[in-house]
Amino acid sequence: MRTLPYYLLLMLVGSIIVLSCDPDSPEPPNEEELITTLIYTLSPDDGGDDVEFVFRDLDGDGGVSPIVTTAPLQASTTYSGTITLSNETESPVEDITEEIREEDEEHQFFFASSLDDVTVAYGDADSDSNPIGLVTTLTTGDAGMGTLRITLKHEPEKSATGVSTGDITNAGGETDIEVTFNLDVQ
Amino acid sequence: MFSKISLIACGVLFFVSSLRAQDCALRIDGQVLDGTTQLPLAYVSVYMQERGLGVYTDLEGNFTLTDVCAEEYHLLFSHIGCESEEISLEISRDTFLTVRLSHSAISLERVIIQESDASSISQASGTVKRQAIEDGAHKSIADLLEDESGVSLLKTGSNLSKPMVHGLYGNRLIMLNHGVPQAGQQWGNDHSPEIDPLTTDKITILKGATSLEYAPGGMGSVVMVEPQSLGTEPHLHGRAHLAYEGNGRGTTANVRLQKASPLLAWSLTGTWKRYGDRRTPDYFLRNTGTREFNLAGQLKRQWNDKSFTDLYISNYSTQIGVLRGSHIGSTNDLKEAIQRDVPFFTEEKFSSAIDAPRQEVNHQLIKVSHRQYFSDERRIEVLLSTQRNERDEYDVRRGGRTDRPTLRLEQWTLQGDLKYIYESHDWNYRLGTQNSLTLNKNLDNTGVLPLIPDYNSWKSGAYVTGVRQLGHASESGHRAKLDMGVRYDYEYQSVAFISRGSPPEVIRYVNQYHNFSSLAGINFTPISKHDLALHIGYAMRNPAVNELYSNGLHQGVSGIEEGDPELTPEASVKATLEYDWTPSNAFSLSVLAYYQSFTNYIYLQPQEEARLTIRGAFPVFTFKQTDASLKGLDLSMKASLGRALVTTVRYSYVHGRDRSQDIPLVYVPPADLYHRITYRSPRSVRILGRQWEQLELQAHQRYVARQSRLLESQDFLAPPDAYYLLGASFSATTIFPHTKVRVYSEVNNLLDTSYRNYLNRQRYFADDLGRSIVLGLHVYF
Repeated sequence: MRTLPYYLLLMLVGSIIVLSCDPDSPEPPNEEELITTLIYTLSPDDGGDDVEFVFRDLDGDGGVSPIVTTAPLQASTTYSGTITLSNETESPVEDITEEIREEDEEHQFFFASSLDDVTVAYGDADSDSNPIGLVTTLTTGDAGMGTLRITLKHEPEKSATGVSTGDITNAGGETDIEVTFNLDVQ
Repeated sequence: MFSKISLIACGVLFFVSSLRAQDCALRIDGQVLDGTTQLPLAYVSVYMQERGLGVYTDLEGNFTLTDVCAEEYHLLFSHIGCESEEISLEISRDTFLTVRLSHSAISLERVIIQESDASSISQASGTVKRQAIEDGAHKSIADLLEDESGVSLLKTGSNLSKPMVHGLYGNRLIMLNHGVPQAGQQWGNDHSPEIDPLTTDKITILKGATSLEYAPGGMGSVVMVEPQSLGTEPHLHGRAHLAYEGNGRGTTANVRLQKASPLLAWSLTGTWKRYGDRRTPDYFLRNTGTREFNLAGQLKRQWNDKSFTDLYISNYSTQIGVLRGSHIGSTNDLKEAIQRDVPFFTEEKFSSAIDAPRQEVNHQLIKVSHRQYFSDERRIEVLLSTQRNERDEYDVRRGGRTDRPTLRLEQWTLQGDLKYIYESHDWNYRLGTQNSLTLNKNLDNTGVLPLIPDYNSWKSGAYVTGVRQLGHASESGHRAKLDMGVRYDYEYQSVAFISRGSPPEVIRYVNQYHNFSSLAGINFTPISKHDLALHIGYAMRNPAVNELYSNGLHQGVSGIEEGDPELTPEASVKATLEYDWTPSNAFSLSVLAYYQSFTNYIYLQPQEEARLTIRGAFPVFTFKQTDASLKGLDLSMKASLGRALVTTVRYSYVHGRDRSQDIPLVYVPPADLYHRITYRSPRSVRILGRQWEQLELQAHQRYVARQSRLLESQDFLAPPDAYYLLGASFSATTIFPHTKVRVYSEVNNLLDTSYRNYLNRQRYFADDLGRSIVLGLHVYF
């Protein structure tokens, strides 16, 4: 019976604690790994205006739907392509491309076009002479409509069959980016 | 009342009467009786540890030990079907002992009587006893329950498993650890309960209609990890267990020390476990190792013959690797992984390293309980407990962030229980109140939006339960027993939710819930040896925080899970009907049928529209409510085939249905049939120059059917085929003057069968475990 007052006291203290204090306001975390924006810039080798493919999702997974913009490409043309990645929720805007370049052995982009005569060749390599895909050459053929899928893999097995030539089948790893753009070759 | 308390389950009752005094020419005579039938027990081994000398009882149960000195002795009584029991005696005269062993090899335990909880359970139950826990030293708490009927496991790989009873798990299943409801992040399908099974001697699974007395929110069943019985042995004694498992090259070491005096008893338990990559029949499962280190201490103080205090402190810490090839970033990754025979990242060689993805969990519990008797019939019990749970989960991350967890949750839970208990021969009741405070906080430095929000919650509940014995007491017990009870719970929940958006905002929610639950039941014996029990329970469960507010991508399941803040409590009515038939000591049959009907059952519903993210399109799952039902059948049969052979059959079947949409429920266990045959040598056997007691050989087989009741749209991959597993085990005990040694060996998946299990969430990526051999050594000193 001696313990009863202590018990009641404890319950009273507990009630006061919980009813008087709600959880502290949590500080929304900085989503450091977030990639909000991918820009694939294509410059025609024989001069002319740059073309930009842009995927932008400013609030990350969920929330408002991402905005995807593309522009037409010229038929039978060779373009120099560069990919830039950024996190635009940070200020100043965080350049994720730099992070990929620092860990180039652990990353690789893959390009898959539904148009057979649109091809993408790697223009860069990591220290093991395996491709990365931040710098590419895109070549178009005849006019047509289709799609181009760009995938960024983290920790792919670059030495697996076909991976260094851009075949994603045996790459493994996990996908950091997978975006699909509409292709309009005129 | 109090003299009766010193007796142990499967235990020993002994009375000493003295004759005449003489030094080193003394005799100990005695008779061993079956505690239930009072008939003499023959062939019981009586072993005097100090002299390394043993005798057997004759057909009248009598034994005699001669040339005994006036000293202190430990006598070990062992018999088929009973865990051996030790008593310590101070001999100063010729002594006559009457020993009653509760010889329970055959009877299935239905009504459990425990030191402090006498006759509180009349609903269906199953138990895992000390010997099974010790032989399974290498297993997790959930894995130990797997062979019980009505129990299945929800697994993530081979080292993360949650128990599931009658198709319910997680928030709907209460786990009581030394009387305290286990707190922590129990909502996670890949979160194992943080309990070391070697801290207990008995695990009871209550397969009930509702659980009024234990905690709010349970929808029927309870898994109880009961406190160790510290016994009355006045010397320092202990046990050490060492187990090695070939698959995973795992070592488990455990030591327990204990000592008792009339007023004070204590025990100390420590467990250390280390596993590396486990293996399917064809390949290693990379990054599936485990590290575990646990410490627990128990102290019992008897102040006088009316006051008893218990203290229990435990620390559980673990590091668990998750299959590297199951870490995926997009729906296409999942599709690729499903199509492969061997998971990505599989290595040729064994490794014991644990990298990301992995979980690190720490759980601490401090419990103080006190029992105060006012008379033989009336007492109060107070229980105060504090738990702290920290869970850190690590993923493979970019930019050197892999060493920073993506999920870091800390939860504190304080609980106070107070109950008043009245117990007499024909009538007992309990009045109780439970109050608890939970503080759940996301620790910072993850760089990821939290999966579940910070919250504080306060719960207060009160209950009354009663049991009434009807009819006249006769030799076979009471004619009928009535159970009834009601419970009320209040919950206040204050939540600080961070919304997804730019910029993220803090949204506050306050929820209050009022819940009722109730139970009515009857146990009766219409015809001698045929027992029937019918229970009906009503229970309510508040939506859990993850169901209300979870928001984000679940990498493991490759889907976006969205909570719904508008969810209301779910309610269930469950009816259980149990029939037990025990025509003789050599046969028993138990059939348990149940039906559970839910309103507002909370579940994850796949949405039609996929959501586009920078990692591709993901399916979206939203928490919804529906009307559902679960019905099933548990069957156990045990039969003696002659004196040395015992066979056990267990069968479980569950059927789950979403009644509103008329579709199956997901994660419902497929039908499961388990069979075991055990040979127990009735006499000791001489091997390697030593005398071995309790020699036991066992073969077991399990057939798990295919879960055919599932629509294609309800899962990424159709449920796997049925499978059949075979296993065997061996054990024997030998006794040295002050030490008892038990050797144990088992082999699981003897045929090295490749299979996948529907309730293992890693089945999308890899096969289940291949053959595994376990060697165990137990030393009792």
